[in-house]
Amino acid sequence: MPDDRSQPPKSWINLVLRDLQFWVPVGVLVVGLMVLRWIS
Amino acid sequence: MTTAAAPAPRASEAIDARRIRTLQGVGMLCGLTAGAWLGAAEAPTKLVTLGLSPVVISLSMVIGVFLARWTLPALIQGTSYVAADLRQAPHLIVWAILAGCLWAVANTLTIFAVRDVGLSIAFPLWNTNSLLGIIWGIVFFRELRGADTRRWLGVIGGAVLMFVGATVLAIASASQSASRDALRGVAAALMAGVLWGTMYIPYRKAYLTGMSPLSFVTFFTVGELGMMAALGVTYSGGVAPLWDQLSGARHVLFWLLAGGFVWVVGDLFQQYAVKYAGITRGIPLSNTNQLWGLMWGILVFGELRSARGAVLAQVIGGSVVMAIGAGLIALSSVSRSEHLRWEEAAAREGDRYRVDPEYTRARIAGESAGAVRRRSWIDWVVVGIATAIIVAFAAIARAPQIDVAAGWTVALVVATIAMLVVAGGALWRVTRFN
Repeated sequence: MPDDRSQPPKSWINLVLRDLQFWVPVGVLVVGLMVLRWIS
Repeated sequence: MTTAAAPAPRASEAIDARRIRTLQGVGMLCGLTAGAWLGAAEAPTKLVTLGLSPVVISLSMVIGVFLARWTLPALIQGTSYVAADLRQAPHLIVWAILAGCLWAVANTLTIFAVRDVGLSIAFPLWNTNSLLGIIWGIVFFRELRGADTRRWLGVIGGAVLMFVGATVLAIASASQSASRDALRGVAAALMAGVLWGTMYIPYRKAYLTGMSPLSFVTFFTVGELGMMAALGVTYSGGVAPLWDQLSGARHVLFWLLAGGFVWVVGDLFQQYAVKYAGITRGIPLSNTNQLWGLMWGILVFGELRSARGAVLAQVIGGSVVMAIGAGLIALSSVSRSEHLRWEEAAAREGDRYRVDPEYTRARIAGESAGAVRRRSWIDWVVVGIATAIIVAFAAIARAPQIDVAAGWTVALVVATIAMLVVAGGALWRVTRFN
């Protein structure tokens, strides 16, 4: 079993990208931009 | 200015019930004050003669927002405090910029929505943002978990009442603009509500981690201005046409910048409300901005002067229903058991992003976590540049050609500033703006 303590700490950008909650606002933003493009 | 930091308590130490009540009270007060200032922000924009493109109006306000969002944190905390906050939780830069992008797209969509279906339909649709915010608060951040039935009913019932009241007010204060494209307008308004409601995820994320709202908004505005500039260039047909429009509007830009500046004060209080009262309480309370906007419109600018009795009854009825909803929410403060769930969510968040648990715990309790406030020459340069820009636009601004009721203007300005003093004073005493 690998020892986590020996692994280098992950960069914070990786931690953000692996956070499921991050992709909720990103998805909503993409849909919002598509709606804006459609209505304008 | 240097403020000595109080020693931080141990990470395992739970926040006591009395402290939670105090923080809740300050959070609720911030929510109500946010409503007053966000409502007042609409006043300067009413002074601007029509004829500007919606995107130019929105972009000009965002420039004012940008100036205020760098000036106020520099004045209150100093940029060194902001930098110290970011060293603790650098991942929040991404979240803040993302939140700013969501805000900019939502704001632009509302302009198109009002154009296509009018304010009476558009406003209630995008006002669903607080209901969506409550759902995200419950699902992602364990808000209302551990709360008793009375508090659930108070928050959900209050939010529904505010939504009903807002709908009645919007219908009463509707402009008479003809519907151009109903389906697109409704889609734009609904999407704006979804974007704003989802924007509260980054807000809560930041404040569960413990970041100061003054630090968060500094980067929020980078996303806001960047996205708004991109939209401005895209929808104006390029940089040169956008520049021409901004140059042509230079005599009224000051009023839009002022609107943006006032809006930032309201937004800062809204952010503190989210931090200390949670999304479920803070956002509905700050949505009382519609009441304040209506007061400015009716009392200062003489809107609805020739309205029929039925319309006035709608205005009074809608206002009373909204006020009752806000009161219900304000009375549904967070219980000790619910706050423990918040603290669990905060611990998970800190663990995920490897944030010092001591920092997170202290900041949730409104303490400084050892940060030192010190203003440097950088802060004074930032404040000096922002002030110079605002003064320059004020110098070339034309006086607005619009009748205002001077007495009511003074009364509302005094009331709004009084709320700032009371809420700002309480925030300083209890949290030192942490």
